[in-house]
Amino acid sequence: MAYSDKVLDHYENPRNVGKLDDNDEHVGTGMVGAPACGDVMRLQIKVNDAGIIEDAKFKTYGCGSAIASSSLLTEWVKGKNLDEAAAIKNTQIAQELSLPPVKIHCSVLAEDAIKAAVKNYRDKRD
Amino acid sequence: MNVAVNTPIYLDYLSTTPVDLRVVEVMTRCLSMDGNFGNPASRSHVFGWKAEEAVENARMQLADLISADPREIVWTSGATESDNLAIKGVAHFYQKKGKHIVTSKIEHKAVLDACRQLEREGYEVTYLEPNTHGVTTPEMIASALRDDTILVSIMHANNEIGTVNDIAAIGEITRAAGVIFHVDAAQSAGKVEIDVDAMKVDLLSMSAHKMYGPKGIGALYVRRKPRVRIEAQVHGGGHERGMRSGTLPTHQIAGMGEAARIAKEEMVEEASRLTALRERFWAGVSGMPEVFINGDAEQRLPGALNVSFAYVEGESLLMSLKDLAISSGSACTSASLEPSYVLRALGLNDEMAHSSLRFSFGRFTTEAEVDYAVEQVERAVNKLREISPLWDMHQDGIDLSTIEWAAH
Repeated sequence: MAYSDKVLDHYENPRNVGKLDDNDEHVGTGMVGAPACGDVMRLQIKVNDAGIIEDAKFKTYGCGSAIASSSLLTEWVKGKNLDEAAAIKNTQIAQELSLPPVKIHCSVLAEDAIKAAVKNYRDKRD
Repeated sequence: MNVAVNTPIYLDYLSTTPVDLRVVEVMTRCLSMDGNFGNPASRSHVFGWKAEEAVENARMQLADLISADPREIVWTSGATESDNLAIKGVAHFYQKKGKHIVTSKIEHKAVLDACRQLEREGYEVTYLEPNTHGVTTPEMIASALRDDTILVSIMHANNEIGTVNDIAAIGEITRAAGVIFHVDAAQSAGKVEIDVDAMKVDLLSMSAHKMYGPKGIGALYVRRKPRVRIEAQVHGGGHERGMRSGTLPTHQIAGMGEAARIAKEEMVEEASRLTALRERFWAGVSGMPEVFINGDAEQRLPGALNVSFAYVEGESLLMSLKDLAISSGSACTSASLEPSYVLRALGLNDEMAHSSLRFSFGRFTTEAEVDYAVEQVERAVNKLREISPLWDMHQDGIDLSTIEWAAH
């Protein structure tokens, strides 16, 4: 299978790999997917008091497209507020990375991951 | 690296093999005007006689490889056709005797899909589950036989995991029960010893391109004593004693014959060299934690190894190993998202199946290439574990099976 240059770039040089402290009240964590399905994404956001995402980290088990989707997502969400981040659509990710139809589920998973992270952060604050 | 290696490195010999140059030499002599281009079926001139001589010579060479009589070899287009001819041919010929067939869940698709077709025609098929080592045992066969069983079809060596079944022990059982025994030997012929008499095999499928011969040619061994009958699946000029019509491709057949001759002559030496390379590779990669062999560690083809690297996914691993030509048990390389049916039949959970790679070494693999492959695999696995949340959790002592995953 041929990967787009952008997928390859994110795969070779993944941005924002890492882990944030889950116990920090400023951190929201979204973990989606299942090992049995071949991909698991963990996306974490750190939100400042103004409600802006100032840091994002990910780790992903999955194919190159799944890794690229989550890497791209961490770049996109930084600097956004929570509503803007949660509004990111899988189609935008798929388009940016030129994902083939069989890999669309990777971008869906990334959208699920940011929504889950935002929800986790909000649940923590409530 | 002490010795330079040329990349990409071919480590996919179970998929296909390059044609040995000695085979190429024989084949090129059977093509052009100044060569042996005749139709082996032409009886009226020397061009036909010479071509027939080349075909019969190759038939003898291939028969020699499996200790058969040359008259028991039927040329086909490859192992897929041989499997189809054997299974459908027996089923159709003996349908009045019974309509039950026994095979295993980890056969090649050529066997499984031929059986599926027979099911649609009203036959009943038992698909045996191999043990966790990937081996189908004689006891499993014995307990699956019924009064109406007409055929047992079991592979000699598995194409994904490289495990080898005890064909001789199964042959004892089928012969005693009077059931015809077909063996798919596409992966084993030319690599491990086969003696169709000692193993009590009735039908045996072979392919040239897995033993350094050309693609597009194979053969089916059909036993004469006690005689096994098959109904032809391809009709026409009555070639191959009516069992498989179609003009014989002299160059392909001569190539397969030469490949068989070389394989027989060099088998012992090659097997020990490949076993050493396989062990060298395993010694290298098993230095990492959480790395597992799929299938029996000992009862396997000399040059084949299927390995699961836990907590990393196969397709991304392949992406990191672009200097190595290997294949993955992960689904993501194919259009479906299901992991390998072979690995699942072994009882592997889906994530271990997703994390598997098949390495196969062959005639032209060097120690330097194996060492380079080990380095590359270590680098890739370490890199991907660095970014794997599952590896993180494993390091934190979390048992992944206790987590409720949201399957998608």
